[in-house]
Amino acid sequence: MGKDIDISTNQEHFVREALKLGIRTDGRSLLESRKPIISLSPDLYGFVEIEWGLTKLAVRISAEILQPYEDRPFEGLFTINTEISPMASPHFENGKNTDDEVLISRLIEKAIRRSNALDLESLCIVAGSKVWSIRADIHFLNFDGGLIDSACLGVMTALQHFKKPDISVNGEDIIIHSLDERQPVALSILHVPICVSFSFFNPGAVEENIKGDLNEEISIIDCTQQEELLRDGTLVITINKNRELIQISKSGGLPIDATMLMDLSSRALLIAEELTDMVKDLLKKDEQERYKKLNLKMLQAENSR
Amino acid sequence: MELYSPEGLRIDGRRWNELRKFECRINTHPNSSDGSSFIEQGNTKVICMVQGPMEPVLRSQSNPNQANIEISITIANFSTTERKKRLKNEKRLVELKATLERTFEQSVMCKLYPRTVIQVNIHVLAQDGGLLAGITNAITLGLIDAGIAMYDYVSSISAGLYDTTPLLDLNTLEENDMSTLTIGVIGKSEKLALLLLEDKMPLDRLESVLAIGIAGGHRIRDLMDEEVRRHGNLRLSKVNV
Amino acid sequence: MSVISITRPTNVYDDEPSDIEMSDVEESGELKKESAGESIVTPGELVTDDPVWMKGHGTYFLHDQTYSSVAGSVSRVNRLLSVIPLRGRYQAETGDHVVGRITEVGPKRWKVDIGCKQDAVLMLGSVNLPGGVLRRKSESDELQMRNFLKEGDLLNAEVQSIFSNGSASLHTRSLKYGKLRNGIFLKVPSSLVVKSKNHSYNLPGNVSVIVGVNGYVWLSKSKQGASSTTSATTNKAQAAFDSSSSGYNPGQGSVSITRLEEESSWEIYSDKNESISNSVRHTITRYYNVIKALAFGELGITEQRIIMGYEASLAYEDVGSLIDKEAMESICQDVINSEKMRG
Repeated sequence: MGKDIDISTNQEHFVREALKLGIRTDGRSLLESRKPIISLSPDLYGFVEIEWGLTKLAVRISAEILQPYEDRPFEGLFTINTEISPMASPHFENGKNTDDEVLISRLIEKAIRRSNALDLESLCIVAGSKVWSIRADIHFLNFDGGLIDSACLGVMTALQHFKKPDISVNGEDIIIHSLDERQPVALSILHVPICVSFSFFNPGAVEENIKGDLNEEISIIDCTQQEELLRDGTLVITINKNRELIQISKSGGLPIDATMLMDLSSRALLIAEELTDMVKDLLKKDEQERYKKLNLKMLQAENSR
Repeated sequence: MELYSPEGLRIDGRRWNELRKFECRINTHPNSSDGSSFIEQGNTKVICMVQGPMEPVLRSQSNPNQANIEISITIANFSTTERKKRLKNEKRLVELKATLERTFEQSVMCKLYPRTVIQVNIHVLAQDGGLLAGITNAITLGLIDAGIAMYDYVSSISAGLYDTTPLLDLNTLEENDMSTLTIGVIGKSEKLALLLLEDKMPLDRLESVLAIGIAGGHRIRDLMDEEVRRHGNLRLSKVNV
Repeated sequence: MSVISITRPTNVYDDEPSDIEMSDVEESGELKKESAGESIVTPGELVTDDPVWMKGHGTYFLHDQTYSSVAGSVSRVNRLLSVIPLRGRYQAETGDHVVGRITEVGPKRWKVDIGCKQDAVLMLGSVNLPGGVLRRKSESDELQMRNFLKEGDLLNAEVQSIFSNGSASLHTRSLKYGKLRNGIFLKVPSSLVVKSKNHSYNLPGNVSVIVGVNGYVWLSKSKQGASSTTSATTNKAQAAFDSSSSGYNPGQGSVSITRLEEESSWEIYSDKNESISNSVRHTITRYYNVIKALAFGELGITEQRIIMGYEASLAYEDVGSLIDKEAMESICQDVINSEKMRG
């Protein structure tokens, strides 16, 4: 990833030494996540902005009616677009997919699409000819580590927030009702996957990691860009509130002990629970506010008559 | 189709903790590569050829501190029953490649070979589940055959979960119908170099699947070690003639 | 947790294609016992936990334990413990006589592929240029480096030193080193080359061979060949050489240096092959196939064995038939048998 960003040896040494003492450069403890700020769009459905530390991204969900794939006539379409533009950080190049970018998009794909977080069969309108196609566009606005975690949270929040316009089917004809005409319908979400990335640092020599039995490897949650560039290994666990692991991906890097994996996955569960509840509360509040506004509008309409 | 019968037998007649036939050879292509291997894990067949460490073709490939490991994976069109053209830059393959490169960057002593590149060419001849595991094992053997210094074996195996029973070393039929966890173990330790779970699995079952996976990985390591020793002793006896 | 696994019985390996060596292992029973005694170690295996050993190549250590990092045999020299890998790229050592190929012409240096992990360096200062040893290298020499050696040229050289990063530096400051012509190139595994005092031999049949320690082999027509087809250019060189050795006053140095000065003309950097008779060409190919066969049988390559293999190969009239597997195997067998007869 960091093609043009080099961290001086001096600085690297500093970060590593500090981690050994359990200190991170931004003052967090090792297993403390930054608090994401989620802002929902007050008027659009399915537009969400996530601020996770300095990492910032916007997710927009859109829907259209298309023909389904021939081999799956009863299923709607769902695509996630995860192109990272140089806007996020100068070391992402346009149109050039580095390994890291592919890994990020594959992970999000696996976490959300392959795990059937969105019920595709509920998107079917007329079998074989017309289905809803849902598209999630992730715009990475700023990058300071944790792209996967924040993108996954963003897409899941946006999917829960989004409402597609209501339709009525009349034989082969479909009428799409505008938002004013009829209440739009929410998507059917089967579960809410949450990605938690852990980064590993090896405090000692490689020999100690391979042959020693100290198990001193340091694992930290939600690392910043600097830590991401220096880390020796990473592990992404996707889990939902129902204690279901959705995917685990440790693509190489520093070997870790099996007991540590168990430990980290239960920790991931706690974080997932916390984030799911937070999103739920936020959506509930948003719903109430919209309801209030709508009522007000209706009242106003009556008054003006 | 019953994947796991009440009597405890799987679709191909194995028990839950039984590996498929594991065969491996090293030094299969002594003239065309520095190190080579061939593995058969059930019906999955992989050839691995290692070139290097050698002078990189491009300047940009050379790193003054350590060797660069480059893995290229070719999956034969005839490797599955369905013949289809595979693109070299398919996302799944890029992910596989990146995963393998990162795994072996840690277990190979790259620091010993500055400014060089280690080129690993993988040819998948037949696929029947456990693709990542098979490739990982083939690369481990190939690197050992090339005389490249490694901290330890990386042995890999897949394990799945059927209802509540963990099953070891899945074939394609099983892989399609249950969640599969592929793990890569370092030597005889419980250190995991590689982990890949792509489908849902209850958190509470993870431990039992991991346990059988690690045990299976150790067994694979022993089988590979046996082959390395057999080949090594044969070679040694020739040198001494 | 137990794992069940099924493998083929081990004796299946006996009918492997390379069983010719297997059978001959059985014959030399005592050697086999010896080799079985020092079994090999594999990566990650604990070699010793005795702290007195110094850790050499092919090992790594944690606290007092020393582990192997390659598959190979353990070597103990005094207190130095190292593991020698069974295979692997050639590792250059100072003084090795190697054959190489120019891959790059750079500022004041050539890059030479010698089958090493990294290309070796041949400095402009470490070659003989036309005009003798005492000649200083000038800027114009730097500009016409490609006229001496260009990409793809083969040469033989000696490893002068090893840099700290592991790459080798070569020199050709002797008459026996330099550019190669009048022959063919052949590559064998470097582990098969037995190191000896001398690596260039004159073989029967007017053929010379340079068996580089790196496994690169050069087979060519012998230089001082008394054949009738010597070209005019060699005659001239020969004449010049004759006149110089008689006319030059000793005292300036050894004989070799005086020869060096005179023969270091443009001639040594010529790209033109001399005319080579058909019979010599045939002999060269025969040697080529014999060395291939020795490599196939994984026999160490020595002058003796090449000659013995050559003699054995005379049973096959057609040189081309030597590439058959049976022919190669029987040549190896003949070499081993005649070696045994000589003791």
